[in-house]
Amino acid sequence: MPPSQLKRLKASLREQGIVGPQKSKKQKKQNAQNGVNNEKRVQRNVALTGIREQFNPFEVKTSARGPKFDVTSNKTISGRVTKGVKGRPGVTKGLGEENRRKTLLVEMQRRNKVGGILDKRFGENDPSMAPEDKMMERFTQEKLRRHKTSSAFDLEDDEEAGELTHMGQSLSLDGPNIQDDFDDEGLELSDAEDHPSDEERQRKRRRSGGSDDSGPEGSKDEEDRPERKKSKQEVMKELIAKSKMHKYERQAAKDDDEDLREELDKEMPNLHELLRGIAPRPAPAPLAAASGMNPDRAALLSGTDKIKFDKEYDLRLRQMAQDKRSAPTERTKTEDEKMEEEARKLQELEAKRLRRMQGAPESSDEEEEPAAAEEDEEEDDFGFGSGIKTRPTMAELGIDDEDDFIIDDDLVASGSELEPSDDEDSESENEADDGEDAEFLKGLLTEEEAKRPEFLTGANAPIQETPLPANNGVNGDLAYTFKCPESHEELLDVMKKVDILDFPLAIQRIRALYHPKLKSENKAKLGHFAVSLVDHISYLANQPKQSPFSILETIIRHIHSLAKTYPAEIANAFRRHLEEIHNSRALAPTPGDLVLLTAVGSIFPTSDHFHQVVTPAILTMTRYIGQKIPQELSDYAIGAYLSILCLQYQRLSKRYIPELVSFIQNTLCVLAPTKPTKISGDFPYHEPKTNIRIVGGTKATRKLSLSDCISTDRSEAQTEALKIAILDTTVQILDAAADTWTGKPAFVEVFEPTQKTLQHLATRNNRSKLHADVQAKITKVSQKLERLLKHAHLACRPLELHHHKPLAIKTSIPKFEDSYNPDKHYDPDRERAEASKLKAEHKRERKGAMRELRKDANFIARESLREKKERDAAYEKKYKRLVAEIQGEEGREAKEYEREKEWRKKGKK
Amino acid sequence: MPGIVSKTGHSVKRKRDTTEKRPSKRARSESSDDEDTQAEILLLENEIFESNSKKNYNNIAKLIQILNNDGDDADDSFLAAISLCRVFTKLIAAGELERKQGNSEKDAVVMRWLKERYAQYKEGLLGLLGQEGVGVPVLTLCMKLLKTEGQYLLNGQDYNFPVGFLTEIVQILLDAECDTAVREDFSRKWVEEYDDIRYYTFQIIAETLQDDDMQDMREGMLGSALDILTAVESVPESKDELEDFHVEAPKKKNHALYSLTQHKKRAQEAWLAVMKLQMNKEQRKTMLGLITDSIAPWFVKPELLMDFLTDSYNAGGSTSLLSLSGVFYLIQEKNLDYPSFYKKLYSLLDSGILHSKHRSRFFRLLDTFLASSHLPAVLVASFIKRLSRLTLNAPPGGIVAVVPWIYNLLKKHPTCTFMIHRETRTAEGKKILEDEGMDDPFDMEEEDPMETNAIESSLWEIALLQSHYHPNVATLAKIISEQFTKQSYNMEDFLDLAYGSLLETELGKDVKKAPIVEYEIPKKIFMKQDAESGFEDTLLVKLWEFK
Repeated sequence: MPPSQLKRLKASLREQGIVGPQKSKKQKKQNAQNGVNNEKRVQRNVALTGIREQFNPFEVKTSARGPKFDVTSNKTISGRVTKGVKGRPGVTKGLGEENRRKTLLVEMQRRNKVGGILDKRFGENDPSMAPEDKMMERFTQEKLRRHKTSSAFDLEDDEEAGELTHMGQSLSLDGPNIQDDFDDEGLELSDAEDHPSDEERQRKRRRSGGSDDSGPEGSKDEEDRPERKKSKQEVMKELIAKSKMHKYERQAAKDDDEDLREELDKEMPNLHELLRGIAPRPAPAPLAAASGMNPDRAALLSGTDKIKFDKEYDLRLRQMAQDKRSAPTERTKTEDEKMEEEARKLQELEAKRLRRMQGAPESSDEEEEPAAAEEDEEEDDFGFGSGIKTRPTMAELGIDDEDDFIIDDDLVASGSELEPSDDEDSESENEADDGEDAEFLKGLLTEEEAKRPEFLTGANAPIQETPLPANNGVNGDLAYTFKCPESHEELLDVMKKVDILDFPLAIQRIRALYHPKLKSENKAKLGHFAVSLVDHISYLANQPKQSPFSILETIIRHIHSLAKTYPAEIANAFRRHLEEIHNSRALAPTPGDLVLLTAVGSIFPTSDHFHQVVTPAILTMTRYIGQKIPQELSDYAIGAYLSILCLQYQRLSKRYIPELVSFIQNTLCVLAPTKPTKISGDFPYHEPKTNIRIVGGTKATRKLSLSDCISTDRSEAQTEALKIAILDTTVQILDAAADTWTGKPAFVEVFEPTQKTLQHLATRNNRSKLHADVQAKITKVSQKLERLLKHAHLACRPLELHHHKPLAIKTSIPKFEDSYNPDKHYDPDRERAEASKLKAEHKRERKGAMRELRKDANFIARESLREKKERDAAYEKKYKRLVAEIQGEEGREAKEYEREKEWRKKGKK
Repeated sequence: MPGIVSKTGHSVKRKRDTTEKRPSKRARSESSDDEDTQAEILLLENEIFESNSKKNYNNIAKLIQILNNDGDDADDSFLAAISLCRVFTKLIAAGELERKQGNSEKDAVVMRWLKERYAQYKEGLLGLLGQEGVGVPVLTLCMKLLKTEGQYLLNGQDYNFPVGFLTEIVQILLDAECDTAVREDFSRKWVEEYDDIRYYTFQIIAETLQDDDMQDMREGMLGSALDILTAVESVPESKDELEDFHVEAPKKKNHALYSLTQHKKRAQEAWLAVMKLQMNKEQRKTMLGLITDSIAPWFVKPELLMDFLTDSYNAGGSTSLLSLSGVFYLIQEKNLDYPSFYKKLYSLLDSGILHSKHRSRFFRLLDTFLASSHLPAVLVASFIKRLSRLTLNAPPGGIVAVVPWIYNLLKKHPTCTFMIHRETRTAEGKKILEDEGMDDPFDMEEEDPMETNAIESSLWEIALLQSHYHPNVATLAKIISEQFTKQSYNMEDFLDLAYGSLLETELGKDVKKAPIVEYEIPKKIFMKQDAESGFEDTLLVKLWEFK
């Protein structure tokens, strides 16, 4: 229980030192002398008011009790009192009253009474301004105001009229209320535009009232503040002035610097000479580099004589020439280094290929890089310049001066032209492109130039090159210029006159003639040309008269090299062909299709996990070998070709092709001289309608060729030979397949049935009908399979695929908030939280505004009442005075009358 | 009679049509002759009703003569058929063909004569019915007559469906030589549409097929009967649906035509009659394909299908596959106990199953059959292992269906996950593995799924497929070695894939970024490498001859 009021009063009085032990007379005297007494009195008064306030129960507002649930509030934590003084209603009320008296009351009193002319002229009352400044400012103000005016017919906006002035002096009466334009604080009679509106003023007042609420400190602040603070406009003006000054200062400093520099520049030539005396090849002078002004020009400006200047110029020129030569950019690399570099680059490419094979996603910059790298690579492959004479075999074929694609030669020979690959990272693709183009052209031209220097100038001039045999076509009449064929029809048209053996040379010439570097539209032209070449290979292979494969090969290689420049076009051309196969002859591919698929396998990387051309291509092939139910020997031949191709596609990635195994099995079982008693394996066995079992009697085995893929009538012996050939090839495919897939998980499961089939082929019944070579091969492959199977059997282990970390159980522990504040809203919905925040603010503001308005109304009522009372009192007073006056007068008259009466009475008497 | 007026109007129109059409078909020289006959037909027809007397009835005989005149123009006989149809419709409607109270002897004679003519006419019509070309319109005429007969020739009863006439029609249609277009028209336009015709057609088919007199013709009828029966697709579900009648509906509400069970009974009998016949594989397959959707609902007692289904199920091959759904229907709905059902199901997993065109259908069923989590793990393991073994020779579409199915099963039967993860823990076990390696304990030859030892085995096949040549298949196969976080895969997404669709998806995509090109241009593609180059020949060059 707190002590009683009286006790507390006593205690606080004692604390403040107001009451205490009595002082001796001596002390009192001393104090009086020092003036301490005076001081003390002031202190005492202050302390007493404090105590009085403290003990007035109405002076402070305390909450009756603390918050209902202490734990839910952390206000104590943040240091604010939970219980006790909440506010000082007396003080705040007084402040509010004071404020209102200053603003509202004045307004009230002025209403309907005060009008007048305001001097809004700029700086009128500012003695610190020069008259010109004043004029200038006024002018700008005027302009601004006019500019700001929204409407010419705005009645509210009557500043246009301006002020009436005379000789710069306002015509207005100098009243106390009329103040300077920029003294906003005291300005009461205002125009809505330049000054805070009523609303604003109220808000301002409320704000100050609000801060008052917070406690005595706030109110003290308010009192301490100077009466007139700077307006926004003033602040801005100051800022502008300041920045202008800074700018000027900077300018001045710069000018100074410039002067200094010029002075130094004049000294420059001397310095140069001095330096040159010491070192023959000086580093570029830092001063010259840094200078913003040409020293020569400076010298010229400063008036150095002409001869000296010229001499200086010559000297400088020579020096520049020297400079360039004396700084070699790159050291020539030794052979070893070049080899190493190539090896590294190949390794890099291999690593990228491996990544693609594993199907790792390529990041975008990685994609840029291989593109650049590949384009670099192209130069390698296209070292047109060398290697011609080393290849006489090619010359015999009539394709001598075709771009020798000899890679290993080029890797060594043309490496010097390569940009170093270690700065590959930094160089942009553009640069690489440019460089590549230049190299490409160079390569082309050097090669051509070697034979015909006038290549570009006099293309039509007949030029004989004796040293190279048959380099102008087989018949020696191959034209030098061709129209660039942009479709397959055009290509056929152009090539009509060209002997098939000259074809590669013609392509070569077209490529040189329409090199993209020579003309901008050539790029597109060559692209179309490349596409038409793709059409052409399938066309050539489909011709009844088989064209030599060396030509096809060369064309494919041309397409390949073009594909590096036009990957998308060529890929699309191939895909178009694949689509055509898919739509029209999925199960009956032509030789052209086979060649096309072979081309795909050599042009595009077949080991990629996914490739836009290779994936559909291999699907097309497996579709045939999986879905086709072969009826004729040619079907088996096609299947064999596609199987070989499939295996070749997978030579690096070694992916499994289920259809291939089924096909091999089926072919072996169907061709076997006797039908196996039990079909081993789980493939769907299809026997063709006509019996195609080997009956024996062939003398020799041969390889299959594309002509076997076309179904024609064959003689008995031919058929038998073909059967044996197919069987032979199939056994070899099986061999290659086993090689490809050794080490795969289900090797045993895949190859055990094929092994059984081979064993069936090796039985006595069958052996006798097979050719000895084939027998030997079967035995060999069978033995090999045996070995591999044994090995696979040994290596077989149960699968352990799931060495994963055990999965965590999902938790549902609620989210725990560190330093939780119950007053805060932890709304996970952000929008809702913001909305509720705004709502709360709106509510608070609204309440405040209503309170203020109510208080204003009270104040106005009070004031008007007071005024009325005053007026009434004045009236009463006046009335009384008048009555009294009248009464006084009348009294006098009455007295007079009385006196008269008295006098008359007396007189009568 | 307004009806007749409108009919004649219609017929006039048709008449004009035919006359207009004709000259284009015929050569000019014949046309005058034709026109004469046709004009004569019209004239004859008009004369019959011209006067109110019956004296011109003899024209009917003439018309019938024209109708039966085979050697002559088919158009003429058809036109005669039309006009005769009109004539008899009118006569029947007028009651000329029925015995009337107070008719004189003379009238009775006329009536009898007319009846004879009518029979003659019907005979002629039926002769035309099976023929190609005119069959369909003749069928329309027949049905019109059928309706008229049913409406007016009641023979003193409330309701009299002309069963005899319909029987004749159906028998002609059932004949194997009958034009298929007519049969199709009959089943589509009449049997499917009208409840009464369907009812009686079913009845007639059942009777005809069981008729001993037709023994020798039965086999030929099977195909056509099947044609008619399979065309009926919509099975009425409630009594209220029975409201489309061709012949005027019977007034009695308890007539058999209003009873759903009676309808079903007729259908059931017809189907059973069909099933009893010897049928070839294709017909059996067609029926099996329809069994759950359009045959079984007709059956009042689906148990009657049991024999047929079990026979088909035991037949093996794709017939078994197709009968699966029917058997399952019986097991599910009728509590059929099929001994060693799973063993039989297991035997269906042969080398052709993943190549079969019924693959997706089979997998949907297989998914249902193995959905129970109460199946023994050994059995489930056998199914998993066998299918995964089959994937070693399967097309990508089959593999893609098998892998998620295996995932779902493994998820449902955690015991089977030993097939993808089995650690050898004992030291001696490890040693044995080290020294001798291991064989696949799974026995592919074993027919009983409980005895295959599949659960002791591992799914090496799926592990191999993780390096399948098709990137998507390879990626899909990898789900087996990933953590099993997904609850299950929706099989429907994986069932209907084939080479064609895979290729279409691949080729359908646009080439957005430039494809990567092999960085090394091979020196030789078709030709042998030069000896000194140091490069090995490609497989293609080694095994193939390029001249």
